[in-house]
Amino acid sequence: MRSHRLDGERLIFDGAMVALAGIAVLFLAAPTLIVLMTSFTSSYSLKFPPDGLSLRWYAALLEARQMQQAALNSLEVAVIATALSVLLGTSGALAIGRRRDRWAKAADALFMSPLLLPALAFGFAALMYLSLMRVPLSLVTLALGHVVVCVPFVLRTTIASLSQLDPALLESSESLGAGGFYTFRRVTLPLIGRGVAAGAFLAFMASFDNIPVSLFLSDARTEVLPIHLWQIIDTDLDVRAAAASGVLIVFALLVMMLAERFAGLSKQLR
Amino acid sequence: MSTSGMTRRHLLASGIACGAWAVTSRLSRAADNLVAATFPGTWNDAHKTLLVPYFSKLTGAEVTLTIMLATDEVAKLSAAKGATPPFDVAIMDEGPLLDALAQDLFEKFPVAKSRHYGELLPVFQDEWGPKISIQAIGIGYNPKKIKKVPTSWNGLFDPAYKGRVGLTALNSTLGMAFMVDLARVNGGGETDLEPAFAALKKLLPNVGAISANLGAHAALFQQEQIDIAPYNFNFVQTLKSKGVDLAFAKLETGVPAWRTSLHIVKGAQKPELALAYIDAHIAPDLQSEMQKPPYDVIPTNSKVTLEGEATRVIAATQADLAKLVYFDWAKINTGRSAAIERFNREIKI
Amino acid sequence: MLPLGLFFVAFFLAPLLVLAAVSLFGDPGFRTHGVAEYRRVFFDTFTLGVLLGTLWLGVKATLVCLVFGYPLAWLCATGRPQLRRFLLFLVVLPILTSVVVRTFAWIVILGRQGILNKALAAVGAIDEPLRLLFSEFGVVMVLAQVQMPLMVLPLLTTLERIDPNLADASAALGAGRWRTFRRVTLPLSLPGVAAGCILVYAACVTAFITQTLIGGARLLYMPLFIYQQATGANDWPFAAALSIVFMISVLLVVFLLNVMGRAKRAQVYA
Repeated sequence: MRSHRLDGERLIFDGAMVALAGIAVLFLAAPTLIVLMTSFTSSYSLKFPPDGLSLRWYAALLEARQMQQAALNSLEVAVIATALSVLLGTSGALAIGRRRDRWAKAADALFMSPLLLPALAFGFAALMYLSLMRVPLSLVTLALGHVVVCVPFVLRTTIASLSQLDPALLESSESLGAGGFYTFRRVTLPLIGRGVAAGAFLAFMASFDNIPVSLFLSDARTEVLPIHLWQIIDTDLDVRAAAASGVLIVFALLVMMLAERFAGLSKQLR
Repeated sequence: MSTSGMTRRHLLASGIACGAWAVTSRLSRAADNLVAATFPGTWNDAHKTLLVPYFSKLTGAEVTLTIMLATDEVAKLSAAKGATPPFDVAIMDEGPLLDALAQDLFEKFPVAKSRHYGELLPVFQDEWGPKISIQAIGIGYNPKKIKKVPTSWNGLFDPAYKGRVGLTALNSTLGMAFMVDLARVNGGGETDLEPAFAALKKLLPNVGAISANLGAHAALFQQEQIDIAPYNFNFVQTLKSKGVDLAFAKLETGVPAWRTSLHIVKGAQKPELALAYIDAHIAPDLQSEMQKPPYDVIPTNSKVTLEGEATRVIAATQADLAKLVYFDWAKINTGRSAAIERFNREIKI
Repeated sequence: MLPLGLFFVAFFLAPLLVLAAVSLFGDPGFRTHGVAEYRRVFFDTFTLGVLLGTLWLGVKATLVCLVFGYPLAWLCATGRPQLRRFLLFLVVLPILTSVVVRTFAWIVILGRQGILNKALAAVGAIDEPLRLLFSEFGVVMVLAQVQMPLMVLPLLTTLERIDPNLADASAALGAGRWRTFRRVTLPLSLPGVAAGCILVYAACVTAFITQTLIGGARLLYMPLFIYQQATGANDWPFAAALSIVFMISVLLVVFLLNVMGRAKRAQVYA
């Protein structure tokens, strides 16, 4: 009698959870699928389902010189920002990762704060700062701005992998006479490598996809891809944006498969 | 495969990638590159497909177009005053132009060096930069959805259009000209927008969406979010040719219009190219190309005769262009920011 | 830590200081000093409305995100390995596809003639198309979708750490599914809930692209307001004061969430 009631409850509970999760799955996947399908439209307007199918908008991308330049700029900025973030973030993580005192905590809070603060306000502040210093906007200043919002990712994943590092390993390495740098290169780095890689990956994506900072720190001469796409969508609802999205999605899938294959990405992201 | 080997290889690879990008981007920027501001819609389209190739053939230089409203251009240029301006060529409508001149943002147009300036009709000559066209506005509507077509702004009040009317914010010239003309036909004018605000309150039940700029207006029509709205003649023509269900209705109360011009920005990185670019825009062969559908841009060069759809709904001849409704933008500008602020606060749907 | 610290001083704290300094000028021409701009923020119902509207928008989007994200994370944590891999893939995919792309898809979905309206009309749920685009409802839904990964990943981490024996023990003692969930799983996962909510909230309130593309011009939130004042109106002191107030209020909300998360955790482990 009792177990019967419980089974009913179990059915309802599991059913509700699965239903909500199902909606969430649909919710997550639908936009990507729809963009992909819309990008094959043969007409000038973005309707779903498309009126006819063609590859004309993908062909149009080959001619879109300005969009290509924006993509190149984005890549360049993301590479610089990622390299700097990894350098700064890893060294920072090594310094504060294993310490428990108040200073380390405060430093950690400071370095993580760009994740929580409205990035748009920081972008605006950086613009005023540069203009006060009379530094002209360039891809380098843009990349420096991105580093601020990208470092937290490297820091977080690296600290997480450091916390799983057994201190005994380091001690034994040093007791065997290995120098600090040798220990770092031979013991620490290999063990936290995956954490750093996951952080670098997230930092790269965060920079490549950044809007709030780029909104203020990039201009027509240093235009980046997300800003360009936003402009052509906001001003024209340009179908080439759908094709560009298609390319980005395929690119993302490839990157993800590679990252999963080589770094076990999904395990590192948590 | 050992983890450390992988990490090292990754580092090496990203180092090489870094270097490669630095080199390729250096190369890709080696060509002369002019940065020119353009308006959304027809303008961005026509500049991208006609003007830029024409200019590149003449000069061998490339152009980066940046889409902006005239008011935003003025803001960006005045923020960058004293430093490198973000673009070399500005595109202006009459109101923002006066603001820009008051802030000394443009170079005088070197008339003597221009090949085509002398060919412009006298009303389109301006020492600060030539007028490249006249933009006229009216009512854009979806002919499949709107059966009874209004012929005046007040016709938009018809309850048949409930939820179907689109408006655009006043930061664009379209928005501002619409407000002033709405005031005019209701007894106000450039300095008295009260009747326009009163009329808008009455119109609100019909309003389906208010776009942030006129480019977004196009999106609203495409997605059939709105079916009828104040709109530029050119924009209607361009969208129609792209297969959007759209038609242009002429206002019986007079066609509001303004002149659009190009300017060399003070401190431009490439002043010579900027001059060549502007000169290309007033060249007779380019203007006659731009006058064809889907752009229907009204020409300003005297060697080009007015043709096409514009002669049917805007003005029969170039001389008739003088009969359109023009506003005193110096007067409008005095109340402009107050009007924008009031519109943002009061006109909510 | 030193290089990272120096970098943050030069490129994060210094710009923020400039921001604070600029906010203390009384007019766009930088002629007078004072707190006039803050008075403009706090004593103007319009501006205050925009601020509160933005903070509230974040709350709504975060809640929607939680309602759908929690079951998804739960399913992911308790499901079979294949299901788990598939779900994780779906969750990570959006991180890799540009925010612009994802938001773009929603324009096609939510339009008056969009998929959702057509589907609702087809099943006879509505006679007139609903206004989804350019409505706050639309903005909330899209924000929830776009930021979902930020909710699911931290939740998943805590849900996975919960010892499955606990739930089994609870069930063996006769507690139903719902009771076990409410008394065991949910309380133990609260740190993850708090972490997810904080990340999602911070991302939602500053999501310029989603807010402007889906909300249009009439739904004004802080990011667009700051952007308009900074670049359109060129009123840097006012934009700076808006940024400072916005930053502080977001930090306050985040702090509250953090305290709530900690209090709950203490309660659970007490």
